[in-house]
This record gives sequence, structure tokens and C-alpha cells, in this order.
Amino acid sequence: MSSSRTAITELVYRPLLALDERDFEGYLALCTDDFHYTVRAYSPEIRRDMVWMDLDRASIETLFRTLPRHNSDPAPLSRHATVYTVTLDEGRQEAAVVTALQVLRTELDGGQTALFGAGKIHDTVALSEGLPRLRARLIRLDTRRLGIGSHIPF
Amino acid sequence: MDRRGALTMARNAREWAEPPKFPPTHYVDTRLYTDPTIFEEERAKIFDHTWIIACHESELPAAHDYRTFSHPGGKNLVLVRGEDGEVRVFYNICPHRGNVLVQEPAGNARVLTCIFHSWTFDCRGNCTGIARRKEGFQDRLQPRDVGLRAVRATIGYGGFVWVNLDDDAPSLPEFIGQALDVLEPHLREPLEVFHYQQVVVDTNFKLWHDTNSEFYHDYMHYFNRVTGMQQPGYFERRYVPYPNGHASVGSMQVQYDRYDGGAERRVGWPGLAPGGWLLVDVFPGMTFNLRTSVIRMDTVIPLAPNRVLIELRGLGLKRDTVEERAARVRDHNAIWGPFGRNLHEDLLGVRGQGKAMRDAGTGSRWVIHGREENSTIHDEVGMRHYYATWSRFMQRSPSDPFGDRS
Repeated sequence: MSSSRTAITELVYRPLLALDERDFEGYLALCTDDFHYTVRAYSPEIRRDMVWMDLDRASIETLFRTLPRHNSDPAPLSRHATVYTVTLDEGRQEAAVVTALQVLRTELDGGQTALFGAGKIHDTVALSEGLPRLRARLIRLDTRRLGIGSHIPF
Repeated sequence: MDRRGALTMARNAREWAEPPKFPPTHYVDTRLYTDPTIFEEERAKIFDHTWIIACHESELPAAHDYRTFSHPGGKNLVLVRGEDGEVRVFYNICPHRGNVLVQEPAGNARVLTCIFHSWTFDCRGNCTGIARRKEGFQDRLQPRDVGLRAVRATIGYGGFVWVNLDDDAPSLPEFIGQALDVLEPHLREPLEVFHYQQVVVDTNFKLWHDTNSEFYHDYMHYFNRVTGMQQPGYFERRYVPYPNGHASVGSMQVQYDRYDGGAERRVGWPGLAPGGWLLVDVFPGMTFNLRTSVIRMDTVIPLAPNRVLIELRGLGLKRDTVEERAARVRDHNAIWGPFGRNLHEDLLGVRGQGKAMRDAGTGSRWVIHGREENSTIHDEVGMRHYYATWSRFMQRSPSDPFGDRS
């Protein structure tokens, strides 16, 4: 297990950059075949943890494939992240990474930028196959008012 | 003909201002969506006198549970479940100095205590404690003088908690009539909220309810086109209007597997045929949407003429297994969650309307509700029916609300 913290940290950032560019193939190339993507948020109103996305790799491939057929907000999202902790698990050849996330949305008309959402990313990084790959990404959102929503996840 | 003599359908200023060539029942003056006077009147004449869904009973499962609600008429309410199991509703205001009694959106408290001066109230609205009452008020004020303001509340139609600020309004069953009969067989089991989301969008609340009241906009939804519009039975779905502005839409068998990566919703719903989809719009801004495996409930809270807070709830059965609940959540999120295919598109649509109509000077004059297709799915009878009731409450014509366009 020779992956450096730098390589692991870059793996956290690169999927965010790929989604910013709507480079869906590039995003998937960074993920393992058993990749799993989840978005959760806690609602103080109903006092429950909510699942807002729960997709395996096949489902996320379908999402990316069908997006062009839908009417989507054309305003770009910009994902900003700061890696807080990287915890290596030598036995499992994995790393657990906790990252702060802020997503900004910029209006096409005029270019005003506003905070769209904030939360934390909890990644599981596979280290057994040469370059690190993303095995699981859980985004736990603090923000629950996400404007008119988004077809493209974070 | 334009100025150069070429044929054109574009209209000049005079033509643009002319009302549509329909009966006045078939179009609406856009000032209904922008005018501050109408907005304030709607809060006073409609929302303060009609039954409104505040939350679901599963949000207050235990004794002493409370839940706050921003009533669309502008009042802050708190709902409390008593030790006797009854849910009672009060203004969320301390009668002493007007502070909100309950700060958090939900919780559990044996007594409601105002943090300002420690006055306390029980779940029946009784004042149970006034700090240093004798020293300050002597015998001039008794706890019975400062009880909370009680609001009428009824649980019904799937366990929703309905409230009405008008002590003299007709009962909830009188208000609903037979509008929810089509859903009654499917609402007999206890339900549970698993999804709660607020959306604030710059548009008028009626435009959101309009979107829930017409299916012609399925052209906007790729998902609905391939799973519904292109499938047998879609164009036979019928609107049924009911007194007081409510309307229901009949079912069909949605073909979920026609969407790329989609699959039949096998978890289903009690009494509902596979792939079934029933919808009931309740005046003035609530929608029951039972889509095969999950119920979505929309409630609107108008914030300004061109701004609305929409509360979105997803509900399953209280008896769901872990696997069944997960399937319902998955089905819900595919089209209705904040990352869902359809909700985002619906919000794009009404946000665009809000932008086009954001004030009276932006140029949009009329909204057409003129489609007639024998009350089937692309007929706009649902909206026409809604505005007939709106007119009765407001004593204004939707097509000429200020009497200056006749």
C-alpha cells in the first residue's frame, strides 16, 4: 500500500472537478466497479435521517446517461472541498477520508454566485489496485434547502 | 403583416394587451400572481378560513411531542400531542411579551416554557406558571387570563393534521366533501413521513398548485413521457372536480420499466393496482400524490406575491419492513427528491413563470387555461375549477381582478 496522502487527497478532489465539468466518464473512471454513492441529511423537522440519493455504480451510470434527455438547470455548480482527515487501514487496503464540502451556484445571466449547499464528504478509497480509486462516497448535507434542486449530484 | 409587409404572428403592443379569445373562465390576469393587494387578501380571505395541512401525525408520535408550523395566513403555530394522545394546536406565542414559545421545529417537552420570562404552559394550552406572579401582578392577573390561543385541529385523510384559524368555518369533512374518496381505500393504514424538504422559489403559490393541477406539462418531463404519456391509458385519465375547489385525477398503469434503468415498482401500495397513480388537489394549495409505492404531499406557504415556500413530504406505511421502506425511498428519490428527475423540472418551470411575471411591468398579461379535452388528462379544467373557487372567496374575477380590463 504505497499510495501517498497526496494521491488520496487528489482522488477526493478529482471527482468534484469532473462533475464541475460534467465529465461523467472521467468521474466514473475514478471509481471502483463496486462504487456506491449516497447523499443523506438529517431533518430536525421530522427528527429522522433522510436518504436523498442511494446509487450503485450501474444506477449512477444510468443517471449520467439519461441526463441529456431531461430539462436541467443550466447554471453551473462549483464544488469546493477541503480534506480534513485521511485515515489509512492497512489491513483492508483502504483509506477513510473526511472532507468539508461547499457547493456554489453561478447564475448564467449576470454571473452572480451564491452558496448552494454545504456538508461533509465521507469517502472510502480503495488502495489495492495501483492508483487509488473511490469505492464509496457518502455526502452528509447540512443544507436542506437546495434551491430548485439539481440533476447532477455533488 | 409586419412593417415590411411580411407575414408574422408576432403581435404589437395593442394586440399583446388584448385578452385571449376565450370565455373569461379560461384565462387569468397575471396580476393574480404579482399584486400585493391580492396577496394580502388571499391570506386573510382564503388561508385564514380554510383547512390547511400543518404536518403528519407521525411527526408527533409520543406524548409531549411538539411540532411548529408557519401557517400560510402568517401565524406561527405549535402542535402538541397531549398525554391523552390528542393533538392540540395553539398560536406559538407567549401571551406575555409575544416571544415564540417553541424555538425548534420539533421536539418533546412536558411543559412549554417561554425562555424570555419562564412562563409555562401545558399541552392543553393552560398557563401553569408565571414567575413571581404575586409580587408583580398581585391579584390583577391570573393564569386563566393568559391561556394560549387554541386553533381548531383535526386528524384525518391519511393521518394528516389539519388546522383552521376560523372558529366558525365549516368542518373538515364539509370542506373536503367527496374529493378524497378516491384515495380513502389507500389511506386506511397508518402512514409515516420519511422525507421532508422545503423549497423556496420565486414564484406565486398558485403557480405551483397550477402545476399540480394540470398534466399538459408532462411534455417537460422525459420520465413521464416515456413511462406515462406514451403508454396505454394515459389519455383516458380523467379530472373530477369537487365543491370548494378540489379536483382528482384518475389512475393508469405507469410503465416504470420503460425508462432507461427503470423497473416496475414492486413494493406497491395497499389496494392500488400495479403502477397505479392517483392525485388529488385540495384547495387552496395542497396535493395528495399517490404514485404506486409512495405518497407525496405538497403544501404551500406563500411568503410574498412572487415567493413561496413549498413543504414536500414523502410517506410510506408505518408497518414497512426495512427493505420495503428502502424501496419506497428509492422510488421517491428517483423523481421527487432534491436530486430527482421530475421535481427539479417542475421547479424550473414555475421559477421561469415567476421570472416572467415577477411584477406587473414585465409584460406578461394573461395565462391561458383554455384546453378542453372532455376533462381528460390534458384538459385544463382542474385550474379553471380552482379559480372559480378562488373567485368565490376573493369576490374578484380571475380574468379581471380590478375591473379595469373589461
